[in-house]
Amino acid sequence: MQVLVSGLLMGLIYALVAAGLSLIFGLMDVVNFAHGELMMVAMYAVFTLWQVSGLDPFILLPIVAALLFGVGVAIYRLLISRALQVRFNKGMVQIFVTFGLAIFIRGLAQLIYGGEFRSITTTWLANRTANVYGVYLPLPQVAASVVCLLAFAGLLAINRTEFGRALEATREDREAVALIGIDRDRIFALGWGLGSATVGIAGVMLAGFYYVSPNVGANFALIAYVTVALGGFGSMLGALAAGLLIGEVEAITAQLLEPSLKQVGMFAIYLAVLMFRPRGLFGKI
Amino acid sequence: MQNSIILRRRRELLVAGGLLVALVVVPLAIHDVYTLNLIIITLLFAGLSQAWNILGGYCGQISLGHSLYFGVGAYVSTMLFVGPHIPPPVGMLAGGVLAALVALLVGWPCFRLSGHYYAIATVVVQEIGYLLALNWEWIGGASGIYIPFRGESILNLQFRTAKLPYLYLVLGFAAITWLVAWWIEGSRWGFSWRAVKDDVVAARSLGVRIFPSKMIAAAISGFFTGVGGAIFAQYVGYIDPDSILAGHIAILIALPAVLGGVGTLWGPFIGAAVLIPLRELSSSYLGSSGSGVDLMLYGALIMGVALFRPQGLVSLFRRGAHGAA
Amino acid sequence: MKRILLLGTVALLALAGHPAWAVDDIIIGAVYPLTGNAAQVGLDAKAAYETAVDIINGTHAPIPMLMGKGGGLPNLGGAKIKLVFADSQADPQKARAETERLITQDKAIAIIGSYTSATAATISQVTERYELPYMSADNSSPSLNQRGLKWFFRTSPHDEMFTAAMFQFFKDEGEKTGHKVASVALFYEDSIFGTDSSTVQRKLAGENKIAVAADIKYRANSPSLSAEAQKLKAANADVLMPSSYTSDSILILKAMNEIGYKPKAIMAQAAGFQEQSFLTGAGPLAEGAMSRSSFALDAVKTRPAIEPVNALYRARNNKDLNDNTSRDITALVVLVDAINRAGSAKPEEIRKALMATDVKGSDTIMPWAGVKFDATGQNTLGTPVIQQITGGAYHTVWPFDVAVQPVVWGVQ
Repeated sequence: MQVLVSGLLMGLIYALVAAGLSLIFGLMDVVNFAHGELMMVAMYAVFTLWQVSGLDPFILLPIVAALLFGVGVAIYRLLISRALQVRFNKGMVQIFVTFGLAIFIRGLAQLIYGGEFRSITTTWLANRTANVYGVYLPLPQVAASVVCLLAFAGLLAINRTEFGRALEATREDREAVALIGIDRDRIFALGWGLGSATVGIAGVMLAGFYYVSPNVGANFALIAYVTVALGGFGSMLGALAAGLLIGEVEAITAQLLEPSLKQVGMFAIYLAVLMFRPRGLFGKI
Repeated sequence: MQNSIILRRRRELLVAGGLLVALVVVPLAIHDVYTLNLIIITLLFAGLSQAWNILGGYCGQISLGHSLYFGVGAYVSTMLFVGPHIPPPVGMLAGGVLAALVALLVGWPCFRLSGHYYAIATVVVQEIGYLLALNWEWIGGASGIYIPFRGESILNLQFRTAKLPYLYLVLGFAAITWLVAWWIEGSRWGFSWRAVKDDVVAARSLGVRIFPSKMIAAAISGFFTGVGGAIFAQYVGYIDPDSILAGHIAILIALPAVLGGVGTLWGPFIGAAVLIPLRELSSSYLGSSGSGVDLMLYGALIMGVALFRPQGLVSLFRRGAHGAA
Repeated sequence: MKRILLLGTVALLALAGHPAWAVDDIIIGAVYPLTGNAAQVGLDAKAAYETAVDIINGTHAPIPMLMGKGGGLPNLGGAKIKLVFADSQADPQKARAETERLITQDKAIAIIGSYTSATAATISQVTERYELPYMSADNSSPSLNQRGLKWFFRTSPHDEMFTAAMFQFFKDEGEKTGHKVASVALFYEDSIFGTDSSTVQRKLAGENKIAVAADIKYRANSPSLSAEAQKLKAANADVLMPSSYTSDSILILKAMNEIGYKPKAIMAQAAGFQEQSFLTGAGPLAEGAMSRSSFALDAVKTRPAIEPVNALYRARNNKDLNDNTSRDITALVVLVDAINRAGSAKPEEIRKALMATDVKGSDTIMPWAGVKFDATGQNTLGTPVIQQITGGAYHTVWPFDVAVQPVVWGVQ
């Protein structure tokens, strides 16, 4: 039982990390290979703010989310918009622009913070765990899961707003939206901002129980890509479902097999699903 | 029209021939070990990238997990050498063949996936390979395999401190992969592959059989990548999953082709000539401070080329309209 | 023309009179991961070596340690040591290329390194072929000195010696306090360090008739270790024996806490457990954990050099000497001492001097019996200690003659 619960909690984190990625892809067909690094930026941001102010990450959450939103928009305006204008070899260009960005950010983090592992040690929930009917629920993870669910709810709510509908429209038919007065460029920028803010939220919550280092993004990145692909690029619901599935599979595989192989389990499931549904569970593209 | 193609292809051969001669003669005058090492690594990855290009550039299947084949080649050749004392030139071929088989095995289910799904699937497959190798004691597991020095010997591809033999070996490797790509470009296969890459529906309507095309490309690509892996293993003298089957190797195999020009004949070579020295030099001379500046430089270069020269650096040499894209 | 001659002569005289130009610097290459996942250790090592170089070269009050008088190498006319660093990125191919560069371009006459076993494998291959000494300062894999290499020297004990110390400690504690260890849980990361460490631990547990209640190999740098923690909780061994790097060390303690499990005792194979960022990150959760260590910071009574050396290191790097950095300083000092005894920068002479090394433990900052290399180049006198975390810092608890406090069992 404990195994399943732990898998659930972790799965929600994976889902939130994946959500931002899926959003950006769904919107403009760009796989952001710097997604893990954006999460790392958020973690360093919340760490630095915590160090300077002593405030709990919960309080800092909106600040960091806003910061990441800005970073996302900036990345779009400076890099991605140019990448999209390229006529030749679009897919390749996008892959490698974001890939180069990932390496750059990693180098920058090392330059500013050095290679040390940092931890946020005094927060409201640090190291506290609740015991419900024999099942242990570590509070930082529970809080993270709750925030993740709220974030998903938020994303769903945004879908219903005018902005959300514009996003949907742009995703469905990039070319035609200009005809109905939607400024595609602006939508893309906001989409990037939203996607980045989403992963920023995940990063802040993660910083509550994980360590911060320049390479931390890489640890989560592959799982995020697998989660998105499994859920289907472009589908929020897919990201959520896939995240939960991956989390559970990882936990169960670790129980049954050598823990060193637990990722093999989730990768195998991913490949198996792809054989039957090449576009992922809920993929629209 | 026909004539200009023949002329162009003849010109390409001439250029290649000249380059080959230069690369045979010039290193004789170089005594700095570090420089020779740089040339060796550059040529090796030029060849590897060209092998990748056959699948990725000409056939349009962007694989980001090619280190799997690299690793298969390296491990097969090494196991054969360490155990039954089979000379690496033979082991290399065995490794290449096995890598080709693995490529076919991977391609068979994966080729029906499109674009990004395929790319991520290749990464996942490579990760699985990595994890399995890490836990497989028979091939050394995490401890890797240390290749014993059995004395200087050309047959064993082992030399005390000499670099030139390795240089000519990888030069030969790069030259062969270039020739294979050149031959493909002019062959009927090449045309049908490019048709598949540009417009699958149209290609199919013209009778191009897509799946077999991709499989053949995968096999050739896998074979040469495996051979390159075997050469690398013998050169470095020690292999373990982290240095052979890792993601960063896969990127290093694909990146030169992207930077240089995917689907072009010279792209991988130009890309390797720029990328590898930049990476090595910035790491050697800037990295020793540990500041991360070398990473920033590397990342900035990738972004720069991707944004400002997406056709690849090879386009700097282009004047007219011809090009394999 | 006459003016040029005059100026030239003046310059020549000035140069001749300048003491620093009287002899060439002795160049030693250091190959460490300075970027990437292991960068923290590499950068700490760099600071440690620079501290050692200051001590060897500089003018200062004499420190009661080998080469502690300063002023360079007396037998070489006061020649100074110059250390050149290279980034291996923890990659064996890169380590090899950098080692070759240090030897051929920078003209290093010896190499010191390298933290990771994979890089040590290729570096020592290069030094063997170029016939110069490789001083392994902090590689702990037992297989490294078993390859029949002539030029490989290691001052540090390796994991077999460390693990033997752990089990000896269990035995000694059992006899002294009656506290028996009947079962252990092995928890190790899946790279060379973890797997080698667990192999020895498994072997010695068997020889000592101690049950292995759990044998868990985990993926290094995992996003989550809760499944692994659950397995450990289910096994509930008398002693948990982790072989983990910093990140995983922090994570596993947190993961166990999250599912409400407090191990009865922890005996770590150092690595992550000895790092300051671990102590900060794990905080109160690390209280009571034990670790083997090659270094005892609190052995100031028997090793008076510790205080001044630590002060210098602290001034440079803002933290105390630990397991790795103390071994780094010691290795460099032993190497330089050999060069000094050889009275020459010729590798073969240095090698002979290294083989003849016989340093007393009291001339180092380590709690070792001494430094003496056997035929395989391994220091056989490197006696480890066992330390325990109390009040947020490590204190030596074994061997009993260097212990500063008794072991507290069951604090967890």
